Amino acid sequence: MLSVEGLTVRAHAAELVHDVSFRIGPGERVGLIGESGSGKSLTALSLMGLLPEGVTAAGRARLRDRDLVGVPESRLKDLRGRAMSMVFQEPMTALNPLMRVGAQVAEVMTLHGKPRERARARAVELLGRVRLPSPEQVARAYPHQLSGGQRQRVMLAIALANEPELLICDEPTTALDVTVQKQMLDLIAEVAPALLFITHDLAVVASVCERVLVMYGGRVVESGPIREVFTRPRHRYTEGLLAASKLTPRGTRLPTIKGSVPPAGRFPGGCVFRNRCPHADVTCEKVPALTGEGHAHACWHPADRG
Amino acid sequence: MPTHAGTPLIEVSHLTRVYQRPRTSLTKPGGAVHALRGVSLTVHKGERFGIVGESGSGKSTLLRLLCGLDKPTAGSIRFDGQEITGLPERRLRFLRHSLQIVFQDPMSSLDPRMRVRDLVAEPLVALGEPVGGRVAELLDEVGLPASAADRYPHQFSGGQRQRIAIARALAPRPKVLVADEPVSALDVSVRGQILNLMADLVDEHGLTLVFVSHDLSVVRHVCETVAVMNDGEIVETGAVDDIWIEPSHPYTRALLQAVPTLEGLL
Repeated sequence: MLSVEGLTVRAHAAELVHDVSFRIGPGERVGLIGESGSGKSLTALSLMGLLPEGVTAAGRARLRDRDLVGVPESRLKDLRGRAMSMVFQEPMTALNPLMRVGAQVAEVMTLHGKPRERARARAVELLGRVRLPSPEQVARAYPHQLSGGQRQRVMLAIALANEPELLICDEPTTALDVTVQKQMLDLIAEVAPALLFITHDLAVVASVCERVLVMYGGRVVESGPIREVFTRPRHRYTEGLLAASKLTPRGTRLPTIKGSVPPAGRFPGGCVFRNRCPHADVTCEKVPALTGEGHAHACWHPADRG
Repeated sequence: MPTHAGTPLIEVSHLTRVYQRPRTSLTKPGGAVHALRGVSLTVHKGERFGIVGESGSGKSTLLRLLCGLDKPTAGSIRFDGQEITGLPERRLRFLRHSLQIVFQDPMSSLDPRMRVRDLVAEPLVALGEPVGGRVAELLDEVGLPASAADRYPHQFSGGQRQRIAIARALAPRPKVLVADEPVSALDVSVRGQILNLMADLVDEHGLTLVFVSHDLSVVRHVCETVAVMNDGEIVETGAVDDIWIEPSHPYTRALLQAVPTLEGLL
């Protein structure tokens, strides 16, 4: 349904996302994980046509039969919020503080041609669908009168308003408390049509998605079914990330990945992970290709299946 | 494992803090927010004490009071036997000396216009103590090169900035290190480095650690004792491992169930 091929994002001379390819089938929930600076958010923004000024995308991305990359803004405007929509991390900055919540949900529908009255009624219905208590009341509230979790539900209602084919969520629960996060994740998993879920949290992605793409240094370094990738990681970065996520008993050393994520554009040539990898050697100066059906990896010295 | 039969270092009893909301009507006063409702706890010398709670639980208010940055509505805090509530700033010097904080976000807690050298030396300068070669010594302790001293915070990654914040906190050789969500803003691959570093430093200097987090699994790795806060109260306190295995309060149980873990999901 969504197919991305050779997506590359550039800012001036620096290549921030390199040759990313993946597909999402109807109803499929795919996670995109990576640390800050891995290029995961840029990948999502380029699909939405929301890249910041001076940053350009090349390659191919299609939602059913419609191109998303390299098409004029007027075409994208028609798709955004209708065929595909996005929920951002910070609901307080994404919502308009001067507009009532109900009107903001209705706006995305009137913009795509729904008559005002019907949009208003449907807005209340949607607020109920994302399980906000007393939706009529919430519709009349301003964003600052709601809690963080409620605001994020409003964002989800806006995203779902036009029954999109693809929902993109970028760290939708990072700013929320854990108990609220759980409810939000359950809700997203329940209502999402096809889902691209971006997060840095491995446990969160495992609780929502079926398949995962691991990004590092602007490249997909490993991809496959969640259970496969998380129990038998092949790429050394995924392996390190999984080890670092497990908190060992008190008094023991936590496993770490040495160094830190380089700033954008300063990743080494060849394998992007080689300056932090304990297994790197001269072979790694060449770029490893993403190989393998189903469970793929881009590593010269993959971890053995064990 | 140190034993804590010994000396209590921080004794908090019946601490209450009520904030007044700004008025929204001309005739009526604004409502009151009960941020802390009679909190009592004891931190012993050498202990690693965790405080867990979600936003609005009162953990930040408690921390501000512990650090002498705010005044309670009622209750008392004794530090090393000395009452600190109600003391004017000029009589809190001993506390500034003995207790230092590392904040969550090193980008906002470090002045972007100061060089690392000055940032790390600032607590010493403020206390009127000689700086000497202490900056280089501290940078080395937190695993940063001496050349870091001449650079600015923005030239470092998140993990390195948190190292700078730790060096700064250790400058006056405190007895107590308070860490407020010190790894929440960091990438997973860096989180372990900072937690390992803090564990080393606490061991080496025999520090008492007060560690605040929303994540009970992180607290379990770092601390031996924990207090779980909800709605301005401590709902449960005791050995972390006991609470982890057998939480007795319904809120603690809900908190534990809500945290997604890889082990549980795969």
